[in-house]
Amino acid sequence: MASTHKSNDFVDLPTVNVENMQNNIKVVLYSRTFMSIIGGVIAGILGFTGFMGFVFYFIVMAITSVGLAAKAGFSVQSYFDSWNQISIDGFLGGLLSFVLFWTFAYDIVHIF
Amino acid sequence: MGDDLVLDTAIRDWVLIPLSVVMVLIGVLRYFVSKLMRSSQTPDAKIVKEGQIVIRAKNLRAGANLIPAKAFRARKSYYSNEDNGLLHVPKDQAQNAQAQMFSDPNMAMDMMKKNLSMIIPQTLTFAWVNFFFSGFVAAKIPFPLTQRFRSMLQNGIDLSTVDVSYVSSRSWYFLNLFGLRGLFSLILGEENATDDTQRMMQMGGFGFDASKSLGAEKDNLDLVQHDWVMPKFEQRAEAVLRKLVS
Repeated sequence: MASTHKSNDFVDLPTVNVENMQNNIKVVLYSRTFMSIIGGVIAGILGFTGFMGFVFYFIVMAITSVGLAAKAGFSVQSYFDSWNQISIDGFLGGLLSFVLFWTFAYDIVHIF
Repeated sequence: MGDDLVLDTAIRDWVLIPLSVVMVLIGVLRYFVSKLMRSSQTPDAKIVKEGQIVIRAKNLRAGANLIPAKAFRARKSYYSNEDNGLLHVPKDQAQNAQAQMFSDPNMAMDMMKKNLSMIIPQTLTFAWVNFFFSGFVAAKIPFPLTQRFRSMLQNGIDLSTVDVSYVSSRSWYFLNLFGLRGLFSLILGEENATDDTQRMMQMGGFGFDASKSLGAEKDNLDLVQHDWVMPKFEQRAEAVLRKLVS
């Protein structure tokens, strides 16, 4: 039993194809940007204001993370270094796009 | 007070939407113009060679634990030998490379082109926005903000009584300028984004010389703790086989 546990330690050896990894990260950033823009438009059309909109952004990002994890077959370790890369990276980068499109859709639908 | 503000639908049709559409189109135009203006410079053979050496040393560093200690030592001395190692750069030569970089007019020209292709459309758009759309309250941000944001969001209207969440047309232009970056990376592909970051890198590290990265890589290589994993793999294989048999 001990020996199998030991062998598990060695799986951590960083044998990563860097190009594939970068491609994966790029895909994650793309999907985050896409989801933040779409989420912003949806939030604007539904007329969320204030805190509600940011909660919606969190929900959208959480859905994206789950979707990405599902796409990776929930074996994230074989596609990424760590869970952070799939759940946190690009989180703040999408926020600006989200706010812009949220404002845009909200103004067009509700303000005028 | 702020809630009483009624905005004309004409502002939406003739300010908000045109402004956003124009911003997107100008971004696309800028991308294609800079693509046309980009000159394909023939890279210097020496620089390419040094870059490749660095990549090879990096590969050695990444795979260090997969080769025996003796093999690793041999490769390491091949790279970081003080006399004729590939990563070893004489002091005076490094100076020369930098001076050469600075005196290369092609590079300065290229950078100027890139900068111009970024600055000129921005200036023109800003002037255009100022000329056509100055003084409109164009949008309302759907969340409350503190007074501190007034100068940021209501650039161009000098009214202190309007609620801060209302955005002037000029500030809407700025919001677009920053917020559309994500959209551009989607519709123009990654090239746009990487181009921007590359430009940043060039600005920051003007006169970046490969010999410096050679030295850094040499230091990194010297720091590597070699630990051959193969014996442990034998144990692991043994464990797997035992599991299969039992």
